[in-house]
Amino acid sequence: MQINLQQLETMPGTEQAVAVVGLAGRFDAHEVPHVRQALTQAADRTEGRVVVDLGGVNFIDSSGLACLVQGMKYCRERGADQILCNLQQPVRIIFELTRLDRAFKIAGCVEEATTTLAARNSQN
Amino acid sequence: MPMPKFRLAIVTTHPPGKGSLNEYAYHFVRFLRQKGEIGEIILLPDELPPGQTYRFEAHPGHAPVRVIPCWSFGAKDNAWRIRSAVRQADPDAVLFNIQFASFGGSKVPATLGLTAPYLVKRAGYPTIVLLHNIMETIDLRRAGFTGNPLVESVMRFFGAQVTRLLLAADLVAVTIPKYVEILESKYKANNVVLAPHGAFEDAPQPSFELPPGPIKILAFGKFGTYKKVETLIEAFKLLQDGSRPPLELVIAGTDSPNAPGYLEGVRRRYAAIPNIRYTGYVDEKDVPRIFSEAAVVVFPYTSTTGSSGVLHQAGDYGKAVVLPYIGDLAEVIAEEGYSGEFFEPGNPRSLAAAIAQVIDNPDRRRELGRQNWIASRGLPIAEVVDWYLLHFENLIEQRQAATAYRLPAT
Repeated sequence: MQINLQQLETMPGTEQAVAVVGLAGRFDAHEVPHVRQALTQAADRTEGRVVVDLGGVNFIDSSGLACLVQGMKYCRERGADQILCNLQQPVRIIFELTRLDRAFKIAGCVEEATTTLAARNSQN
Repeated sequence: MPMPKFRLAIVTTHPPGKGSLNEYAYHFVRFLRQKGEIGEIILLPDELPPGQTYRFEAHPGHAPVRVIPCWSFGAKDNAWRIRSAVRQADPDAVLFNIQFASFGGSKVPATLGLTAPYLVKRAGYPTIVLLHNIMETIDLRRAGFTGNPLVESVMRFFGAQVTRLLLAADLVAVTIPKYVEILESKYKANNVVLAPHGAFEDAPQPSFELPPGPIKILAFGKFGTYKKVETLIEAFKLLQDGSRPPLELVIAGTDSPNAPGYLEGVRRRYAAIPNIRYTGYVDEKDVPRIFSEAAVVVFPYTSTTGSSGVLHQAGDYGKAVVLPYIGDLAEVIAEEGYSGEFFEPGNPRSLAAAIAQVIDNPDRRRELGRQNWIASRGLPIAEVVDWYLLHFENLIEQRQAATAYRLPAT
C-alpha cells in the first residue's frame, strides 16, 4: 500500500493547515500500523485537521475501517475532524454495509473536504 | 464540539449468569467501561439464582456499572419488565445483546421477550439490537426447537413477524454480511448494519506448544440443542486405539438452557469410555487455562445459529480447530481468515479423521493455531465497541435534533 502524508494545504478562508493523507492499494490488517502512524503524525501537525484521500484504495477490511475510526476519534479529541474523500465503489459499499458512512464526514474530492473542514472550523 | 458522556443501558446476559451470550457481554462491557464517551453503563441482565450477585469493581477512569436484574429466562413478562426498568433508569440509549432464544427455551416466552426492543423504542429510547442469529439461518429441527414440519412452518411464520418487530429498532446489528443481505432483501429493511464480532482478548502472542500430559481435545460451550457431544465421544473412542499418546476429551461448559439434563444423560450413557472430563461451568478466570491446555478445539455442531464466539476464543489462544461442514461456521472461516479441519456432521469416523489430522501432526496443529491467532487479531472487540458508540452518538443526535424541531419556539 502507498501512503502519502506529505501534502499540506491551507483551509479556504483561514491560515490554518490541513494534512492530506493519500492512500492507495489494499487497506487491511497488515497496513494498519503504517496508516495509523501516518494519520497520527498528520493530526499532530495540524491540530487534528486531516483529509484522508481514499481514491487509490481498492479494498478495505474491518481492520482498515477500525483504523480510520481511531483516526477520526484522535482528531475529534483535538477539537477538529478527519474527513474522507474520493471513495471508490468497493470501498463505499463497505462503508454503507457497516453504516460508518453516517459516522464519518465524506466528501467527493480533496477540495470539498478542505472546504468542509474550514466550515466546521468556523463553527467551533 | 464533542458530545457529553452518555448513559447506555444494555439488555443482556452476563457472568455469573450462565445464559447464552454472557461471555460476549462480559468482554463488551469490559471494554465499553474504558471508553471516554460513556458516563454510566446500566446493565439490565437476567435475575441470578439465590446467593449469586453481579459484581463490578470500581476502576479509575472506568465508567461505573449499575446493575438492575429485570428479567428471567422463560418468563412471559420479560418485555414489559425490561421496558419498565429502562424507563426507570432513563438512559440515553439502549443496546440489546440477544439471539432468538435469549428470553426463553420455549416458543411463547422466547417470542414475547423479543418484543422488548420494540417496546423500548416506542417508549422513546434510541435502540440498537445486536442480533447474533437470524431465523432464516437457524435449522429449527437440528437446533432442537421442533421436529414437526407443520410446527416448523408456523414457527417460521411467527419468527418472521418477530424479526419485523426486531427491525423496528433504530438499528439492527448483525455479525455476518449474509445476514445483512437476507434482512434487507426479505424484509426490505434499511436499518441493518454489519458490525464485526471482534476478538475477545488483547493478550500477546500465545505459545503454540502444548503442556506436558495427555493431548487434550476441547469442546466448549452450552450443549444439548445444536451443540451435541455424542458424535465427538464416538470419535474420541475411535481415536483411543492405542496407537497414540494418552488423550483426554474435555467437555467444558453446561447444558443449554433449552436442554436441561443433557450432559448428565451423556455422562451416564458413555460412562464406560475413559479419559473424558466434564468441567461444568467454566468461570471466566479459568477460560485461559482451559483453552491454553488444549491441542485442538472441536465444534461438535449439528447446525449453527450464528457466528461463533468460541471460534474467536480459539483464535485468541492460537488453537487449531475442527469444524463441521455447515453454514455459518464455514462462512465465518472464509470471511474472517480462520482455518481448520472439517468433518461431516454426525459422522464419528469423519470427525475422528479430522481431529487426527491435527493431533498426529504438530506442524499442522501449530500452523492452524498461528493462522487462527492472526485472524483473531483482525479486530479486537475494543474497537468494535467504538463502532457501536458512533452509531449511538448518531442516533442520539438525530433524536435530539428531531425533539428540538418539534418543540414550540419560546
